[in-house]
Amino acid sequence: MMGEMIFRNLLHRPIRTIIGILAIGVEVALVVLVVGLTSGILTETAKRVEGIGADIMLQSPSAQIFLAFSGSPMPIKIGDRLRELKYVQSVSPVFLQFSSSGGIDLVYGIDRDSFNAVSGGFVFLSGKDMEGPDDLLVDDLAAQAKHIKVGDTFNLLNHDWHVAGIVEHGKGARLFVPILTLQDLGGAHDKASVFLLKCTRPEHTEDVINEMQPLLPNYKIHALKDYLSLMTSTNVPGLNVFVNAMIALAVCIGLLVIFLTMYTTVVERTRDIGVLKSLGATSPFIVRAILMESVALCFGGIAAGVGLSYAVRAGFVKAFPTLSILITPEWVLRAGIIAMIGAILGASYPAWMASRRDAVEALTFD
Amino acid sequence: MAIAATIPIAQSEELPHAVGQGLVRKSVEPILKTENLWKLYRAGKVEVPALRGVNFSVQPGESVAVMGPSGCGKSTLLYTIGGLASATRGTVLVDGNDLAAMSDGERTKLRRSKIGFVFQRFNLLPTMTAKGNIAIAQYIHGDGFDPHRFDVVTKLLGLEGRLNHKPSEMSGGEQQRVAIARAIINEPKILLADEPTGNLDTKNSDVVLEMLRQLNKELGQTIVMITHNPEAVTYFDRVVHMRDGVIVDGIPAD
Repeated sequence: MMGEMIFRNLLHRPIRTIIGILAIGVEVALVVLVVGLTSGILTETAKRVEGIGADIMLQSPSAQIFLAFSGSPMPIKIGDRLRELKYVQSVSPVFLQFSSSGGIDLVYGIDRDSFNAVSGGFVFLSGKDMEGPDDLLVDDLAAQAKHIKVGDTFNLLNHDWHVAGIVEHGKGARLFVPILTLQDLGGAHDKASVFLLKCTRPEHTEDVINEMQPLLPNYKIHALKDYLSLMTSTNVPGLNVFVNAMIALAVCIGLLVIFLTMYTTVVERTRDIGVLKSLGATSPFIVRAILMESVALCFGGIAAGVGLSYAVRAGFVKAFPTLSILITPEWVLRAGIIAMIGAILGASYPAWMASRRDAVEALTFD
Repeated sequence: MAIAATIPIAQSEELPHAVGQGLVRKSVEPILKTENLWKLYRAGKVEVPALRGVNFSVQPGESVAVMGPSGCGKSTLLYTIGGLASATRGTVLVDGNDLAAMSDGERTKLRRSKIGFVFQRFNLLPTMTAKGNIAIAQYIHGDGFDPHRFDVVTKLLGLEGRLNHKPSEMSGGEQQRVAIARAIINEPKILLADEPTGNLDTKNSDVVLEMLRQLNKELGQTIVMITHNPEAVTYFDRVVHMRDGVIVDGIPAD
C-alpha cells in the first residue's frame, strides 16, 4: 500500500519527478565520471609506462610518480654507471617535457637506439623511425585526435617537427622526439628525467634494484611491474583533494535538489498529511512515507546516472580518442550509496516538518 | 435518488462485525464525554477561546447533530473530541480514555482504532484511486487489507463501479461516499462528520445523510455531525446548539 502511494505520488507530478531523477542522475554521473576520468587517465598512463617493456625506472629524489609532474632532471652520466651493473642489459635515458599547446601532452625525448633496446622497438603503422633531429613519432590515438599524417609538419613546444612515423600506442608517451633536440629546447643539456633499465632476465629486477639503492641513495627506483599499483590518485599531489571536492559538490547538488523536491512535495501535500494523520498515521509513518519516496526517486536517479555516465563516456571517447574514463562497478556502487545518503539527508527535514505538522492546520490548508 | 437502491442496507448482514459497537442506546457510560472542555488558540499575543467549558456526552449508538453559527467552536469541538487537537483544559473521554491526559502519539493510536472522520471537502488523497483511498485506512490501521470487509463496505455505499477512479474523476457525492467508506472501513466506535454535505447539492446531500442515518439505525454506528443545514438535523436523534464556544441547549430533533 505504501509502495502504491509512493508510486502514484511520483507519477502525479511527472515533471518534478523527472527533474529530481535527472538531478540525482547528474550527481551520480558527476561522481562516476570525475573518478573515472582521474583513475582512467592514471591507469591508462601507468599501462603505457608498463607497456614500454622496461623492468626498472629510475627518477631523481624529488621527482613525482606521475611523470608529467616530474621536473627534476638527473645527469645523463648516471646512465653510464647503470650500464655497468650486473644483470643490466640496456639503459635508456628519457627527457620529459610537458606540452599544453593544442592539448595536454607529455613528450618523450628518447635516444632511439637505447629506447628500442629497452622497449623492443615501436610497431610502425605508417612511416619510419626517427632519423633527423626534428623527427617526431606519434602514436595512433594521438594521430587520430590531432589529425596528423606522416610527412606533416607539427608544431610542438614552439618548434616545427616533421612527422616521421605513426606507431602503435602503449609505449610510454604519445609523442616521441630525439632527446638531444628536446634537451636543447628545454635548456637541459646532458640531463634525463628518467632512466629506463632492461634486465637480462625479469627475475633479476630485484637484484638490480638492490645494487642501485646504495649507488643512488634517495633516488626513486621502481620496478615497473609495480608501477600500476603506484599510480593512484593519492600519489598524485592535489588530485585526491580535487576528486573529493568534486564528489562533495555533486553530493551538495543532489542533496539540495532532493531537499527542494521533497520540501515542495510536503508543502503541496499538506492536506494529504492531515488526512493521513486523521486516519491515525503516526509521525514515524509520515517520515517513512516521505523518506521512501525520496529513496524511490534516488533509485531512478542512480539508474539515470549510470546510463548518463556511459553515454558521456562514449561521447567523450569518440570526441577525444586519447581520453580514458574508467567506470568501475565499485565506484558506481559508491556513487549510488553517496546519492542515497544525500537523498535521505535531503528529505529528512521535509519529512520531519511533515510529521510535526499540526493535523487540524494541515486539514484546513489551502 | 432512490436511497434504498443506492444503499442496499439489507446486505449489511454480510458485515463480519457490526460497524461500531452500537445499538445500545441506554448504556450507563457514554462513549463520548467532555467535561469543562476549554480550547484556547493563540493569535499573536492574544489567547482566543474557541471552546469555553463545553460539557457534552454521546451514548453508544446515538446520532447527534451539532449546529451553530460559523466560528462558534463546532469544528474545534469535533477535532478535539476526535483527538486531532489537544484540549487546553478539561476532560475528553472517548470510550473511557481521557484524551486530555494523552500524548499526541497516544491520541493518534486511539484515533486509529476508535474514530472515523468525514470532512466537508472530502479530503481524499488525490493521487490514489477510490480503492486506494479506502485501503490506505486499513493499511494505517495495521490489520492489512481485508478484502471481505472491503467488499462489504464498498457494496454498502454503492461504490463497486467507481473503485478504480481517482477523486478528480468522481462527483462530489461519490467522493463523499468514498470518504464515508474510508471512515468506517476499520469499524470505528465513533464517526465524526464535519459538515459532510457542505459541498454537495441537495440530491447528493440527501444520499449522504440517508447513508449516515442507515449506518446509525441499522448498524448502530455512533455519529456526531456538524452541520449548518436545518434539514439535515431531521436525520439525527438529537441536536446540540453551540454559540460562542459553549453548548446552549440539547433538544430532541423530533
